[in-house]
Amino acid sequence: MAPPCSCLPGALNALKATPLRSARQWATPSARRTFASSQAFVLRTQLRNPIPVNAIKSRASILEYHAPGNGVRNIGQQSQRPFSNSTSRWKLKTIEQVRARNKGGPFNLTAAVLFVASGAGLWAYFSYEKERMARQRIAEQTKGVGRPKVGGPFDLIDHNGHQFTHEDMHGKYALVYFGFTHCPDICPDELDKMADMIDKVKERCGNVILPVMITCDPARDTPAVLKEYLKEFHPDIVGLTGTYENVKAVCKAYRVYFSTPPNVKPGQDYLVDHSIYFYLMDPEGDFVEAIGRNFTSEQAAKVISDHIKDWKGPLNKKDYWA
Amino acid sequence: MVWLPWGSSEKKDGPPKTADGAFEAPNRTNRAKCYAARDAFFDCLDANNILDSIGDKQSVLAANKACGKLNEEFEKNCAHSWVEYFKKQRIVNFQKEQTIKKIEAEGGEIFAPGAPTKR
Repeated sequence: MAPPCSCLPGALNALKATPLRSARQWATPSARRTFASSQAFVLRTQLRNPIPVNAIKSRASILEYHAPGNGVRNIGQQSQRPFSNSTSRWKLKTIEQVRARNKGGPFNLTAAVLFVASGAGLWAYFSYEKERMARQRIAEQTKGVGRPKVGGPFDLIDHNGHQFTHEDMHGKYALVYFGFTHCPDICPDELDKMADMIDKVKERCGNVILPVMITCDPARDTPAVLKEYLKEFHPDIVGLTGTYENVKAVCKAYRVYFSTPPNVKPGQDYLVDHSIYFYLMDPEGDFVEAIGRNFTSEQAAKVISDHIKDWKGPLNKKDYWA
Repeated sequence: MVWLPWGSSEKKDGPPKTADGAFEAPNRTNRAKCYAARDAFFDCLDANNILDSIGDKQSVLAANKACGKLNEEFEKNCAHSWVEYFKKQRIVNFQKEQTIKKIEAEGGEIFAPGAPTKR
């Protein structure tokens, strides 16, 4: 094949230097067009019909002919604008010089670096967007009509004996956990994990999370018991209890299974089976995601922090007890 | 009736009881004590090659004979429901281990719910 590509780097250089301007000039060839661009235009048309070597040679002689003449270079003096900083083609005296310059084709170090950098940039951007969209999908699954709803209104008593309803969770991301203080091994482990999660999320997103533990065992877990119990885990955790009916209603709203007997005799010793999930609720009280036991505190903190960072609405950063 | 979980009389051993006779919600120290007593008892059972310490009568007798003192200690430091729970859990855990071993020996793979996949 004949070496036809002499025009390509020149055209590329012209485009790279002033993409907009040269594009405009492609569209409206006028007296303002410089020699370089008209040359590139001519060469481009030549490329469409591949030219033999002798044609190139003759073109080279044309170049030689035109080069010394300063007047030929610019048709209009007012339009003296350089398209690139590299050596202009008309300065190359011989076909060998033209060939040497074009040997590498459009590939040089700058182009390679730009290519790799833009590729990496695009990859990073799209993988970030993909993750964000996946989170958004999870968060929005429970919004709107006809979706399975987790959570809802409730009326309970916090560990200081004050009334606490679903409205008290609005404005903050709420992390809701169900448990009971007489839990042998799993709940204490999970609450330790919860404390770790709270610290990590607060460190990353500020004071925007309200951790809540709702007891499944209201008969034994009075506000005072909850207060004593929870202060060993994290000072932020709000313990909630209430009447058996109210607790049963909130468990039902959160789709939590529990096996607390309704009428326990004083002093009766029993365990409660219950589902083990952390429920993340957004500042409007809608369910976002359930976090299971298989999450480490680090993974859970990441999931929560990412959701919080996605949130565009107002966030309440005040302390709950302040 | 006023229920004062922390105001109840402290007994010398074991989890304290509340005014209505139930065990107080165990705190971190009490839980640690209970776990330690449990581990000591289960270590003794392991050493004597006893699995069941709650269901089968013969095994219970054997367990009491071999590790009676540790069992007492265990029951003193943990609520009755916890003792029951841990003894049953020991059997369940053992069976789970055996099942996993069996499946692995047959060349199967276990897909336990491990860490969540990257999302």
